[in-house]
Amino acid sequence: MMRCPTCLVELEGGFPELGRHIFKQQRLADAGHITWINRYVSKTRTDEDTFISKVIAVFQNDSLKEWIIHQFVKKFYGDDPHRFVIAMQRPSKFVLLGYAYEHHHFLKQWVKSCASIISNTDIEEVQHYELDNISSEWRGSGNTVPSHHELLLRMGESYGAKREDIYSTEALDPTKLAISTWDYICRDLTFVEGMAAMHSLELIANRNIKNYGSPIGYFDPEILSDGSVTKETAEFLKEGYMADVIHSEVALDLIEKYSKKLNIVQPVQAVVMKSMEEFDNYLNARLERGEMLENK
Amino acid sequence: MCNATWGEYWRDIDGESMLFCCDVCADIFQTMVNKVKENTGWNSIDSVNLVGNYNKGRECSAKNGDEEFKYYFRTYSNGKFITFEKR
Ligand SMILES: [Zn+2]
Ligand SMILES: [Zn+2]
Repeated sequence: MMRCPTCLVELEGGFPELGRHIFKQQRLADAGHITWINRYVSKTRTDEDTFISKVIAVFQNDSLKEWIIHQFVKKFYGDDPHRFVIAMQRPSKFVLLGYAYEHHHFLKQWVKSCASIISNTDIEEVQHYELDNISSEWRGSGNTVPSHHELLLRMGESYGAKREDIYSTEALDPTKLAISTWDYICRDLTFVEGMAAMHSLELIANRNIKNYGSPIGYFDPEILSDGSVTKETAEFLKEGYMADVIHSEVALDLIEKYSKKLNIVQPVQAVVMKSMEEFDNYLNARLERGEMLENK
Repeated sequence: MCNATWGEYWRDIDGESMLFCCDVCADIFQTMVNKVKENTGWNSIDSVNLVGNYNKGRECSAKNGDEEFKYYFRTYSNGKFITFEKR
């Protein structure tokens, strides 16, 4: 079984069938499929057979984990890093407020996605992994260790946002759309695809990102101590910085292991690409929210 | 918009039939033309020059006779505008 990285449709057969599906969609001038071709295959039109061989090359890998890291770094950290990552190097008050407002909705979905993954498998190491993730992101432990979500709200408050405002402000459309895609993937596809959609995204704040060929990190570590952001922001960023390394790398190992066992490596790759596309829009929504608050 | 040679999508913009790869690129171009007109009060645009890409956004200059209007914009992947500003 193959899965289309754009519309997520399941296709019987192998790479030739996948290649023909995408090729047909571009002939119909479908925007999503053309965007995918431009990004991963080529901007220059070729005949169908050459196209199919290039599609095979996109998915070619020796290690799924490394392939995911490579694609993620290329998309968000390469020669042309995402604008949100650039803005985070020395973030302004409004960028951080935009972060707080939109990420609240992201995390509300996150916990549900983790729960969907748990409900879609009997494998205990996967369930345990997701439970740990839920507690660090959403629940915290006891009165001493706040959740990542709580730290996010405190960051927003430190810049004057009210908790009630963050709760009562609807997410922007791109955030909503991204959330509904993640919800669908985690509920209705296999637990491995669910994990791949969500946990690949934790690479965004991975401290090791520079070891994977990125010239910059998620933020300039100096801001944690030079007073350019609030203490609450430093707490929030530091937590993610430490946690996401463990989260995302352990998850990538599990994803690789079970996608091979279930023979669904290509569908997992397709879902990762789709999830990155949504994440790109979602990061832009954080920026747009920041601009909206600034111009209010 | 994306410099691609894939797809084939025609749309009439300002009475001129133009070729795009897809409807999203056509939407972006059409919205951009409307925004330039709103900002300048022009009835038509002679030429537009765009530099940049999807991620960076695009630095542009539009001309109408001797007049020039410089601006920047960036969109989501579905073509919805994130930013449009005069430069
Ligand atoms: Zn498709
Ligand atoms: Zn297009």
